[in-house]
Amino acid sequence: MLGFEQRVVAGLVTTTDPERRAAVEAFVDGTLRSMPEHLRAGMAAESLLLGAWDRVRGRGRAGPVDLAALDGSRIDVVRQYVRLLRGLVLFAECELAPTT
Amino acid sequence: MRSLDTEVLVIGSGAGGAVTAATLAEAGRTVTVVEEGPWVDPDAIEPFSLDEMVVKYRYGGPAAALGTPSVGYAEGRCVGGSTEINSGLYHRLPGDLAEEWRRTYDIDEFTPDVLDHYAGGIESLLTVSKVPGAPPASSAVIERGATKLGWRSVEFARVFAYDEQGRGTKQTMARTMIPRAVAAGATVVPDCRVVRLLRQGPRVVGARCRRTTPEGATERLDIRADHVFVCCGAIHTPALLQRSGWWSRIGGGLKLHPTVKVAARFPSPLDHGDVPMHRVTEFAPKLTIGGSASRRGQVAMALAESSAEYEDALAEWEHVAVYYAAIRSDSAGRVLTLPRASAPLVTYRLTDADLSRLARGLVNLGELLLAAGATELYPSISQSGVARRQEDLVAWWDGLTRSRANLMTVHLTSSVRMGQEGALSGADSFGRVWGAQHLRVNDASLIPDAPGVNPQAAIMMIAARNAEHFLATA
Repeated sequence: MLGFEQRVVAGLVTTTDPERRAAVEAFVDGTLRSMPEHLRAGMAAESLLLGAWDRVRGRGRAGPVDLAALDGSRIDVVRQYVRLLRGLVLFAECELAPTT
Repeated sequence: MRSLDTEVLVIGSGAGGAVTAATLAEAGRTVTVVEEGPWVDPDAIEPFSLDEMVVKYRYGGPAAALGTPSVGYAEGRCVGGSTEINSGLYHRLPGDLAEEWRRTYDIDEFTPDVLDHYAGGIESLLTVSKVPGAPPASSAVIERGATKLGWRSVEFARVFAYDEQGRGTKQTMARTMIPRAVAAGATVVPDCRVVRLLRQGPRVVGARCRRTTPEGATERLDIRADHVFVCCGAIHTPALLQRSGWWSRIGGGLKLHPTVKVAARFPSPLDHGDVPMHRVTEFAPKLTIGGSASRRGQVAMALAESSAEYEDALAEWEHVAVYYAAIRSDSAGRVLTLPRASAPLVTYRLTDADLSRLARGLVNLGELLLAAGATELYPSISQSGVARRQEDLVAWWDGLTRSRANLMTVHLTSSVRMGQEGALSGADSFGRVWGAQHLRVNDASLIPDAPGVNPQAAIMMIAARNAEHFLATA
């Protein structure tokens, strides 16, 4: 995962258990690596642009990403970007959750 | 580099490839099946789980047909293909649709009688049956809502075998046709990607493959064959043909069933171990309403699609199940091989009429679920909020726009259409690719248009028919 993607995923993961967090991040990372090349390239380009925009807005290279701003973006592909990552994180978090 | 000789090479082991391999092997032909994905014990992985997605899905899950809006899709990539990951619903190709396609595309030997003959053969081999006893609660929701609204609904049969305790086992290709092929002498080579077909002019003489060994190394494998059947599905069959130099009427005309979803919350818990087998057929074939897999992970993803607060509903996820409305689309897409890329570019252009039909389908689905007792509905429309009453559904008509609709599909067909009408088809009535010799397609790509129902039965009956035609002529 690229740096900005890691920050978005970190913001989306809700569990505080470090092992589960790592497992969710590994799943998302593996899925992104397996994506069709053109989709992955488009997503990577978007990550770089959004990361640069985030730095311009003074948020630096680390720390939490403003997910609400991405969710509410007027640009379709930005919303789809968060939607994809959220879907992967949610699926992994739920499927990796201990059986109750 | 290793090499291998065979009489018939079947590329792909899904519904088309497995039927082809079993039919030809049982007729005494020497058959080799290559499959890009792994050979997984069908009992080893829980259906619709994260493990299944990682191991059996192409790309580990998500892919998309790009457009406005894009349409997410999923395909199997393992021995057995998408039959290993689908819901196993079985629906014979409607006779009137077959007749319409026969006339439009000038398809020989494609009458309902002929197709029924092959469907009967498939059904006797696969154990096509309905669930014994009462349907699960998530399926009964559909029946209950339809009854209240006065709509037709049916319980679909599935390719499931049931034991004395009523436990069902999906009769996937890895459990049925592939073992039959192997028992008849066929060889299956898993983890083997076909890079391109080998040809001498128009004649195909085999395939160049890249095989991953059990140790994880990759090796080149050339397979020489007298005849080649390409059965990689509606995305990867045209991609392989294009990589091998065939472009004319290959890859255009891709059809799919654009689908919208609703996560519905009910006052009492539902089952989550099975996929609903009831479908609303009141509006078929243009619009079908049914239910999807609803494990906790799928429920969470569906809840989030509406952008509404969903934590409360997710905490009570056993009360939530996912339902869908799928349409037959007017539009078509394209599969295009990109230089130096292993994955083809897939595009799909939805028409305004399609979007309108999807909105209608979504509202119909909402009405059905409310009538069945749902208390909260989360549609797959970004920034849509939660619907709790009939009046809330009105907003869905205008809400399902190109920028807010979150669409998906699992049915992909028609990228190498069959028929004698050369201007419309990439292959003849029996799958022989125009302009090629000793090369046939035998999978969902041949189906001339979206069938409006799960296409597995149509794929299998067409594959059986074409395999028998091969035996009679080659």
